[in-house]
Amino acid sequence: MNTDKPLLIKRLWVVSFSLMLVLLAAMFLGLSLGSSQSGIKAVFQNLLGIGPHDPMLDTIIWKIRFPRVLLATLVGGTLSLGGLVFQALLKNPLAEPYILGISGGSAIGAIIGILIGLVRFPGVSLTAFSGSIGTLLLILVMSSGQTILKKDALLLSGVMVNAFCGAIIMFLVSLTQDARLHNIIFWLMGDLSMVDMPQVGILAAMLVPCFFLLFWFSNSMNLLLMGKEMAQTMGVNVKAVTVILLVATSFMVSATVSYCGLVGFVGLVVPHLLRLLFGPDHRVLVPACVFGGGAYLVFCDVLARTLPDQGEMPAGVITAMIGAPLFIYLLKRTRR
Amino acid sequence: MAFRISDMLNCRSMVIFVLAATSFIVFSGTPSLARTVTDQLGRNVTVPDEPRRIVSLAPNITEIIFALGQEHLLIGATRFSDYPPEAEKLPKVGSYVHLDLEKIVALKPDLCIAIKDGNPIVVAKRLESLKIPVYAVDPKNLETIMQTVLEIGGLINAEKRADLLVQNMDLRIQKVKSLVSNVTHRPRVFFQIGVSPIVSVGTHTFIHGLIVLAGGTNLAEGPISYPRFSREQVLALSPEVIIITSMARAAIFEQVKAEWNKWPDLPAVRNQRIFLEDSNFFDRPTPRLVDGLELLVRLIHPELFKEAE
Repeated sequence: MNTDKPLLIKRLWVVSFSLMLVLLAAMFLGLSLGSSQSGIKAVFQNLLGIGPHDPMLDTIIWKIRFPRVLLATLVGGTLSLGGLVFQALLKNPLAEPYILGISGGSAIGAIIGILIGLVRFPGVSLTAFSGSIGTLLLILVMSSGQTILKKDALLLSGVMVNAFCGAIIMFLVSLTQDARLHNIIFWLMGDLSMVDMPQVGILAAMLVPCFFLLFWFSNSMNLLLMGKEMAQTMGVNVKAVTVILLVATSFMVSATVSYCGLVGFVGLVVPHLLRLLFGPDHRVLVPACVFGGGAYLVFCDVLARTLPDQGEMPAGVITAMIGAPLFIYLLKRTRR
Repeated sequence: MAFRISDMLNCRSMVIFVLAATSFIVFSGTPSLARTVTDQLGRNVTVPDEPRRIVSLAPNITEIIFALGQEHLLIGATRFSDYPPEAEKLPKVGSYVHLDLEKIVALKPDLCIAIKDGNPIVVAKRLESLKIPVYAVDPKNLETIMQTVLEIGGLINAEKRADLLVQNMDLRIQKVKSLVSNVTHRPRVFFQIGVSPIVSVGTHTFIHGLIVLAGGTNLAEGPISYPRFSREQVLALSPEVIIITSMARAAIFEQVKAEWNKWPDLPAVRNQRIFLEDSNFFDRPTPRLVDGLELLVRLIHPELFKEAE
């Protein structure tokens, strides 16, 4: 184990650094493009502090686009990590917070929080967290025992939990009569447009420690994938690690849901792509997911902002349009 | 004589000088180009004395600004701002429920006028944090619409026009009131704003107020603003007049009418009193709501007009 450590650290740096570059490029794109068409050149000049100074462009870049890009980075990273953790713990390449219904459970909690008039933080975040824990327990109970090894059982229970969550969400939405309805619907589709810097700050304070926590347990995830007995003999407290990872992931996912609704399939697309590129080592994959997932969602959000010629669409629409076909493809491939 | 004339001239120039001086003092006495006003939500908003770049955050506000003849001050409006037709040419800043913050900021407005029901409060707060004043209105019925017209008039230096507009509205409302004051029968009206599901209007809507003013009974009155109905419930209420203001257009209307026509026992069907009207007359809190009121009287009490003719 010790002999490959320098190699691992080198790989970690190379992967993280290159993905950070990708993320920076995506962020630059995210800062440059928007509904007001200010032009990439002007943005570039503004970022470098050269050329004519335009206070309006300043406001647009730093107070409107920048919080949004940061939010997309945080949420993309979180959801990718969520997918990675669930895939490792449930030993199922198709597991992902959205597909399993964890996001849906958070959304139920969040909508209840919104409807009873709680503030976004800590009120709605807490109700979202309880919703996600509730669905997590439900999924674990449903797929417990022998069936946890069977991919179809887990997926099917996830699909059912998701459908159930969807029904409750529709029920709550149909109870809503007032103007909040439209906001809830946009938010449900995964809308990144309405955050400001303090909110991003709160979200980062919740998520970044979790990133480190997951990184700390990344080697345990490697061992868990080899089987519970194997992990146990290698000194992993399987039960404790599983609980910590599941709760941390649910917490992260529910935090993102309470801020920007349901952004689906990110946790499926990104970990698969990264595993294909960098191999199955979670010690590399955890930081890779943070940067790569961030870049992916920033990119999807840029598409969401620029594709429609009037207004913009929620980023969740784009991620689902990319993710769902990939899910079907992966499902077919694992069946073979 | 000559002495006197020159004296008078002196006097006159004196007066002019004094006038000029006082006006100078008066105008220089208010050097600030902004003032603080209280909007309809009770918030203090610092607005420019003479706003020149206004973004309207809802179609009805666009309409009011046009009605006040100050459309040259408008630099942006929301989607579906389609009245008057020239309003459609304005740059669009998203729809009123989903505003495009970046577009609004890029237009560099010195005033945004928002509506409480619809515009998300987060957007208003963010605009204010970006130093763009947001004046919010909350028109609930004809009286508050008139109040809103006067307030917006005051904001954009169109007080006189606003006064005239409101007087005219008031006059027409009084006329309707006196017209229906003697009716003995208040027909049961089912006002359908949604086709599937069937949605009507409760007591806390302007349409309810219009129906009552126009001498009808709103079958859907109650605490829920936009209650849903099953077909069975509507049949049980046995409406004498059905007014449909769907956003969907003619083809759908024929379908909806055909649906109702399957129940010939319905008084509204028997007497062929199912009407399709432009929803914009009824669901936008603008001066045009008075047109909607006059239209309603004709639909609910056609006999009043036959007698007059």
